[in-house]
Amino acid sequence: MSQTTEDDRLLIEAAQADPARFVDVYERYVDRVYVFVSRRAENRAVAEDITSQVFERALAGIGQFEWRGLPVAAWLFRIASNTLADHWRERSREAHEAPPDVPDAGELENIERRITLYQHVERLPDLQRQVIRMRFVEEKSIREVAAALERSEGAVKQLQLRALENLRKSMGGHG
Amino acid sequence: MAERDLADRLDETIDAIVARSDATAALRDRDLAALARIAADLRHYPRPDFKSRLRAQLEWRTNMTAASTMTTGASATAIREGFTTVTPYIRVAAAGLVDFLVQVFDAQETFSGRGGGGGMHREVRVADSMIMVGEGEAAGGGGVMPVSPVAFHVFVKDVDATFTRALAAGATSLGEPADRPYGERSGFVADPFGNHWYIATPRPRGEAEVARGPESVASALRTVTPFLHATGAAEYDEFLQRALGAVEEMRRDEGGQLRYARLRIGDGAVELGEGEPMPGSFLLYVADPDAMYQQALAAGATSIMPVTDQPYGRIGGVADPLGNRWFFSRPVQG
Repeated sequence: MSQTTEDDRLLIEAAQADPARFVDVYERYVDRVYVFVSRRAENRAVAEDITSQVFERALAGIGQFEWRGLPVAAWLFRIASNTLADHWRERSREAHEAPPDVPDAGELENIERRITLYQHVERLPDLQRQVIRMRFVEEKSIREVAAALERSEGAVKQLQLRALENLRKSMGGHG
Repeated sequence: MAERDLADRLDETIDAIVARSDATAALRDRDLAALARIAADLRHYPRPDFKSRLRAQLEWRTNMTAASTMTTGASATAIREGFTTVTPYIRVAAAGLVDFLVQVFDAQETFSGRGGGGGMHREVRVADSMIMVGEGEAAGGGGVMPVSPVAFHVFVKDVDATFTRALAAGATSLGEPADRPYGERSGFVADPFGNHWYIATPRPRGEAEVARGPESVASALRTVTPFLHATGAAEYDEFLQRALGAVEEMRRDEGGQLRYARLRIGDGAVELGEGEPMPGSFLLYVADPDAMYQQALAAGATSIMPVTDQPYGRIGGVADPLGNRWFFSRPVQG
């Protein structure tokens, strides 16, 4: 049994014995689930809503989860896949869309790469991190970011460039 | 100068990525391509406050689940034997409802006694579900449970036969039995006291129906489940989650309105849909009635019965914004 699998087993057993421990499952997998969902959701609000539903459903079902040696991530991706399918059915009631496939090895690698990238964002110098968050998460324009940081637009573009170059270097061959 | 150009080109690319328009030109720009790929990945960067908010929501939910789910350890005896977390308490002004339930749903009376308020307190079992009935104007918690008809979803083996029995027992039809698109054959009646019974039998569905909507919820529910009507069901759904630790297990929206939701509360459930409220009273067996009472108040409920020790256990109650009344009780052990 691999270390990851053993960790998964312990996580699940702890959460089944004490629901308060479910947050450990959440902490470990929320980024992966979010990235998987976000790639398929039409916008950030939908991605957040579906990710919330995935963990709500997982919490509701943790008592019935039977450990069969499969990674917890596979279980969560399956829930995410079904939740996305439910969402698509709601959106276009006449269309019957099959649930998306759970990630294959290639997508799993992409998911892990993105999570690594997001960890590097957290380690950026403060101003660069703020620019990244405002541009990509809050979807602010350069003008809005410049106003918020009380800097010129040119200075913000330079901060943005440096942030992405730092991220590319941190990611090495994976960028 | 070249770096300034690169900063501008990168900014234009990021604008396109954030707007989800075509940014592929950047991939042909040797200086820009690697940065553009990083930028494309950053579009899915999770909002930090979303993650912390969801974590807090789950933490709260697990705390409430621990308080209201009686499955393990010290809390195992907090529910009376044969009951679930949620028990509807139907208040009627006069006798007769129990007879109706016996005739129509083969209910079995398991308890009958004089209540604290002078009325009759009766308990009946319908298959795997318990219902409490308070008869008489003063019955039920000293008058804190008003006489008010409520609605139920009830699963039976043969909806047509049960529907016919209901009419024979004095019910009026609210809708003849018919195949519904949500995987049920259902007929709707109002009993002589005005309570609504949505009588249903799950049925197999064709491929086209499977495509149109969710399967019957029968497999996930007990025989009798309270059906709550709400004006502003979506907000009420959120209230129930905050106030009672309810977990939304199924939801359908139509035209921006919540059409249907199934909410688990401990090991019981309620259903919810948009409609004119039919407020009722519900007894929740919980491990910590004080905590649930405070939680409900914090969510916007109003107190109708402070938590106190009674001969039958510790109990308190609140009214919610729609007039439903929720009583939190931990029965006397032993």
